[in-house]
Amino acid sequence: MALSFESLFLISLAAGLVGALTGMGGGVILVPALTFLGVDIKHAIAASMVSVIATSSGSAAAYVRDHITNLKIGMFLEMFTICGALAGAVITLSSEQRLLQLVFGLVLLFSSATLFVQRFRGRHATTQDVLSRWLELEGSYYDQAAQRTIVYKGTRAYLGGPLMFGAGLIAGLLGIGAGALKVLVLDLVMGLPSKVSTTTSNLIIGVTALAGTSVYLAAGLVDPGQVAPVVLGVVAGAFVGTQLLVRLRNRTVRNLFTVVLFVLGIEMIVRTALGGK
Amino acid sequence: MAYTNAVDKKVTVHSGMENVVGYILLGGVSLSVALIVGGLAWHWAATGRFQFEYPIGKMNLARFVSSDLQQLIAGPVRPRYLINLGIATLILTPYMRILASVLYFALVARNWKYALFTAAVFSALTYSLFGR
Repeated sequence: MALSFESLFLISLAAGLVGALTGMGGGVILVPALTFLGVDIKHAIAASMVSVIATSSGSAAAYVRDHITNLKIGMFLEMFTICGALAGAVITLSSEQRLLQLVFGLVLLFSSATLFVQRFRGRHATTQDVLSRWLELEGSYYDQAAQRTIVYKGTRAYLGGPLMFGAGLIAGLLGIGAGALKVLVLDLVMGLPSKVSTTTSNLIIGVTALAGTSVYLAAGLVDPGQVAPVVLGVVAGAFVGTQLLVRLRNRTVRNLFTVVLFVLGIEMIVRTALGGK
Repeated sequence: MAYTNAVDKKVTVHSGMENVVGYILLGGVSLSVALIVGGLAWHWAATGRFQFEYPIGKMNLARFVSSDLQQLIAGPVRPRYLINLGIATLILTPYMRILASVLYFALVARNWKYALFTAAVFSALTYSLFGR
């Protein structure tokens, strides 16, 4: 079934808005909403993947110039995430729709759970292993709230790399940024300060989404008639969401989104079980 | 004093790179959105609706862009070409960011380790975008 331009735009606008408010990105809402309204899941995943490039690049542009993003850590980990995304997208091409729907449902439930976990922050690394030191995984940034320069070190690169392959795989497979997963790895495994984790994850997401997009483009799943309204909607929604963010209470948004993700996850799993598309 | 200067220089060079990356990303996304909005506005002015159906077949980015440009040069300019160019610009934005990083680490920072890492990412993406 083909959704009208206006419907695609409005759904994407809502997804971009909620994605920006919660920091989870738009894809995780967009794909379930589109499939619920009858869009084929592989087309929904491809359109969402392209829109992830736009939102990630848009916000990364601002973060990078604020000098909080760690380019080296980002570029080291991108080697792993793009391999994951290429593999994930190839798996999607040969997978059955119902299987993708089920995996997406499980990822939604997992994302809902990570919103609870996010309150437990990892400890900042004070020592480095040999590999992380060789990779020069360190940096500093000026923290405006604390009004001082924070110097930090990243550690456990031997674990962070392979785990990032997994995050890239999920991203490419489902057409999402998988930012929550990436932040978890940077925070809890590699011991980075949360601002560095969030901004660096954002930088990595754009290239990861590009890798996934290249596979979907070659497979003929990128349909400009669907991608154009989705990209514009998500970008507009993300823009409005960022403006609203300063005025809303973080906890209210987070609680609301935890419930939304949970309901969407259950809905997708039930729909799979009932044999619907 | 010499130490402070060295650190300052490193920070300045690195900030330069961060600004370049930031402007590539910002410029790419803005241009892409402008092209898509322009194409859609034109399509709306010509047909009275936003909806357009123009599915494309299996193709890599090189064919996607080249067929679009060829038609753009050969025939009358159509709104959908602008929309396609907007999508292509968006796809090329992170790609250009990686290319700039390879050049920065190889030529400016002379950090061969990271020049190699970014070159590996660049090669994989080049193959995936153009090699199929």
